[in-house]
Amino acid sequence: MASQALDRELKKGSAELLILSLVEARPRHGYEISKLIEQRSDGAVRFHVASLYPLLYRLEKRGWVEGRWVEKAGQRRRRYYRLTAEGKEVLASQRKGWQVFAAAINRIAGVEHA
Amino acid sequence: MPDWKKEITEQLAGLKLQPAREAEITEEVAQHLDDRYRELLAGGATEIEARRIALEEISEERLLAKGLERVERQMPQEPVVLGASEEQSILASLWLDVRFGLRMLFKNPSLTVLAAATLALGIGLNTAMFSMVNAFLLRPLPVKHPEQIYTLSAAGKGGGNGFSYQDLEDIRKQTTGLFSDMAGAQILSATGLSIAGKSERMWTDFVTGSFFQIPGIRPFLGRFILPSEGSVAGADAVLVVAYPFWKAHLGSDPDIVGKKALVNGRPVTIVGVAPKGFRPLSTLLDTQGYLPLGMAVVDNQTKNDFLNDRQDKRLILIARLKPGITQDKIRSVLDVVAKRLAAEYPKADDWNLLKAFPLPPTGPTSDPSDGLGIVGALFLTLAAVVLILACVNVASILLARASVRRGEIAIRAALGAKRGRLIGQLLMESVLLALLGGVGGLVFGFGANRVLSSLPLHMDVPLILDFHFDWRVFGYALGMTLLSGVIAGIVPAWRGTRGNLSAILHDSGRSTTGGGHGLRKGLVVAQVGGSLMLLIVAGLFVRSLLNVQRSDLGFDSQHVLNIALNPGLAGYSETQSYEFVENLLERIRALPGIQSATLAATVPMGGHNMGADIAVEGLVAAPKQEGSAAGYNIVSAGYLQTIGMRLLHGRGIDDGDTQNSLRVAVINQAMSERFWPGKDAMGRRFSLEGEPTHPMQVVGVVRNSRTEDLSSPEGPYFYMPFAQKRVLPVTLQARTYGDPEAMSQEIMGLVRSLAPAMPLASAQTMTDALNAPNGLWFFKLGAGLAAAMGILGLILAIIGVYGVVAYTTAQRTHEIGMRLALGATPGEILRLVLRQGMVIIAVGSVVGIVMAFGVARLLAHLLVGVSTGDPATYAGVTLVLIVVALAACYLPARRATRVDPMEALRYE
Repeated sequence: MASQALDRELKKGSAELLILSLVEARPRHGYEISKLIEQRSDGAVRFHVASLYPLLYRLEKRGWVEGRWVEKAGQRRRRYYRLTAEGKEVLASQRKGWQVFAAAINRIAGVEHA
Repeated sequence: MPDWKKEITEQLAGLKLQPAREAEITEEVAQHLDDRYRELLAGGATEIEARRIALEEISEERLLAKGLERVERQMPQEPVVLGASEEQSILASLWLDVRFGLRMLFKNPSLTVLAAATLALGIGLNTAMFSMVNAFLLRPLPVKHPEQIYTLSAAGKGGGNGFSYQDLEDIRKQTTGLFSDMAGAQILSATGLSIAGKSERMWTDFVTGSFFQIPGIRPFLGRFILPSEGSVAGADAVLVVAYPFWKAHLGSDPDIVGKKALVNGRPVTIVGVAPKGFRPLSTLLDTQGYLPLGMAVVDNQTKNDFLNDRQDKRLILIARLKPGITQDKIRSVLDVVAKRLAAEYPKADDWNLLKAFPLPPTGPTSDPSDGLGIVGALFLTLAAVVLILACVNVASILLARASVRRGEIAIRAALGAKRGRLIGQLLMESVLLALLGGVGGLVFGFGANRVLSSLPLHMDVPLILDFHFDWRVFGYALGMTLLSGVIAGIVPAWRGTRGNLSAILHDSGRSTTGGGHGLRKGLVVAQVGGSLMLLIVAGLFVRSLLNVQRSDLGFDSQHVLNIALNPGLAGYSETQSYEFVENLLERIRALPGIQSATLAATVPMGGHNMGADIAVEGLVAAPKQEGSAAGYNIVSAGYLQTIGMRLLHGRGIDDGDTQNSLRVAVINQAMSERFWPGKDAMGRRFSLEGEPTHPMQVVGVVRNSRTEDLSSPEGPYFYMPFAQKRVLPVTLQARTYGDPEAMSQEIMGLVRSLAPAMPLASAQTMTDALNAPNGLWFFKLGAGLAAAMGILGLILAIIGVYGVVAYTTAQRTHEIGMRLALGATPGEILRLVLRQGMVIIAVGSVVGIVMAFGVARLLAHLLVGVSTGDPATYAGVTLVLIVVALAACYLPARRATRVDPMEALRYE
């Protein structure tokens, strides 16, 4: 197995899952998403601006999230991303897939019974 | 707050985004950097540090630009530059696929070798077959703009593709609007070349002066024959030799130009050597020397005034079409020419049609649409069927492997790999496999090709079977390779990537669903059908060959030796030649071991046939076109005994028939029935058209016999005494008591002792002569190729049947164990497994028979004595296939009966 390819797909697959989860509850802007990922993973996972926005735009292009400029009084306008109906379905199936995968990995790599 | 715009714009510059979109992205990313900058400052960084870190996050490895490029620019792709270090580019992922695919292939070498070898057989067969079709049909003449080279033929009385020199001159002068050049050639005359005391036979074309203008090719050494040469009988004694002849027979002499030689005893000067591969008339004919047409008088049978004789139609014509001339234009001009010539020379050129068509690469013909193309397409199709059978076997292997790899593929899909990407990857594996097979196939094809090229032709005429691999053959092989990679891989790839992740991952491996099996069974049904079709076609060809071999030739080919003689090649005059031939005949008759010997102008299936229009006394009213033509041969006494032909009435040609006696002829049954139906032909008289003063009297009737070929109906034919119409060259035929091969040494020795300098064609037994292209050669080739493909197809189908039955049986081990435990007998288990195989074979057989009916209709005209739906062939071949296929099922079935119920049930 080409480890490079696996790594890339792993990261890509999980990153989508992370972003979709974060905008599930309410719309968020890009910086907020990156901060939340960093905080909730205790700094283990970080998304820089250079990888975050291409990913967001791709999700938007696929119709899984929708970006909208929002102006608040006294602030510059910001672009907020919210989960679409299609995005909800994708998120549900990705969650399930991840659970199965994690379970499978655990079965294989978990504690070996003698 | 730093201004980020400049850095961001720099990154986006290469993307050529819409200005509005660019501004939007810039704004959003700049805001993010602002936030990040503030955060860093709050964390205690200096302004300079904060700015540096924030900037690094966008500019690092140009990640932003690269990431955006894939999302934002899906339509306007710039061409991918080879060697560009784009990690994400198509080329890079292709390379990943290649590496990954190779690793998978090496992981299971025995399976890989098996699959590649299977494809190699199929690809090799197709390559070899295509190289033949290429040589016969596709490879253009090696001249400049071959598509402009035309040949002419006339229809009607005096028509055909032979023209007289006067015809050529008239047509040339009246068609200067169509053709930039027109030339004539008398092709492939045997001549004797003597140089420095050595004599050998040289196959020569006698050509008009403009002949060498047409190909647009320069000589290798010296010069060609000039436009001013060749129009005067006996003048311009210059010789151009072909490159291979110069190498093989003239020692590659660099100073050959200017040397003197003798052709048929006449002095000539060698003026040039044609370049390598110079074959302007046909890719198949190996002409060795070229002389100006006027020099055709070196043949002592050619009269000095032949250039003025309109009846002497020895030339085939070639012409170079001017650019931009339409077919309509050609037709209208030639119509006028034909009418004009027919009116002017009704005796010689009573044509009703004169046509010009592109010279086929195989050489001059009077029919632009002979059936060779259909035969070629047919054999290519059969070969393609074999390749498809091979692909199906490989697909089967890959399907089995895909089911093993379902888990791996499901996980990759879960991680975000798109289906198209996974299919692409699996296809890459099968294409790599096919490329391995393609390399093997080229080696195999090359070997097959060597065998085919060296097939003995058993004939005198120098034909070249040059099946060498050119770019067309390589291109075809590559195309077939890629195609077979995709055919073999697409179904497994499609199925392999169509899976429900959790179902697959939860499955412990014992599959109970039958979907994949159904597909594999379907493939094997197709395989059985295809292979049965190939076998039936092969069966029809083989039956045809057997029919031809067993058919009544009308003479006895055993124990007959043929020796072609042409003393003119050694410079003998006509009188000397006849003296020599008759003297030799007497001596050979006197040899012990010789039963009888005779002279004959032509031999059956020898490729050289004579025919004439005849005038039958008392049949004046017979319409001309109603076939007053008959074939004939000129033979000496003892012909019937020597060739073993049965006399029905009267007598054969004998020693009493001399130059001064009554003119006589022996005719065959068909001639008797055609011209004197229901009457006794004996004593009737007829004459050759144009020779009314020399009528011949029928003195004998013989059984019909094969003369031109082995399959067409036997037409009217007659034999004239050699003494009354002498002709050269001539074949001496001898019937021996023992093995004719053994006598040939002695006879050749006798010839050499009489005439040491005589260039001679070698002696050949009549049985060998029957294997020539006009005899059995094509039947044997066709039957051999078809049988080879049939057997190959059968082997592939058997492997397929065995594989699918063995696989499904192994999958059912648990069930079989259960049945045995519950009391099933081994006999019942055997039937259970066999039934499954039988269904596949039965359905496949029906499919095969239907396909065979369709294909066989295309080859109807190639079959002799067997119909396209011959029940015996269909039934016999189908039975063979069923028996062999059942045997292939029997092995796994028997194994199933030996399943240990305890083992099978515990294995869970």
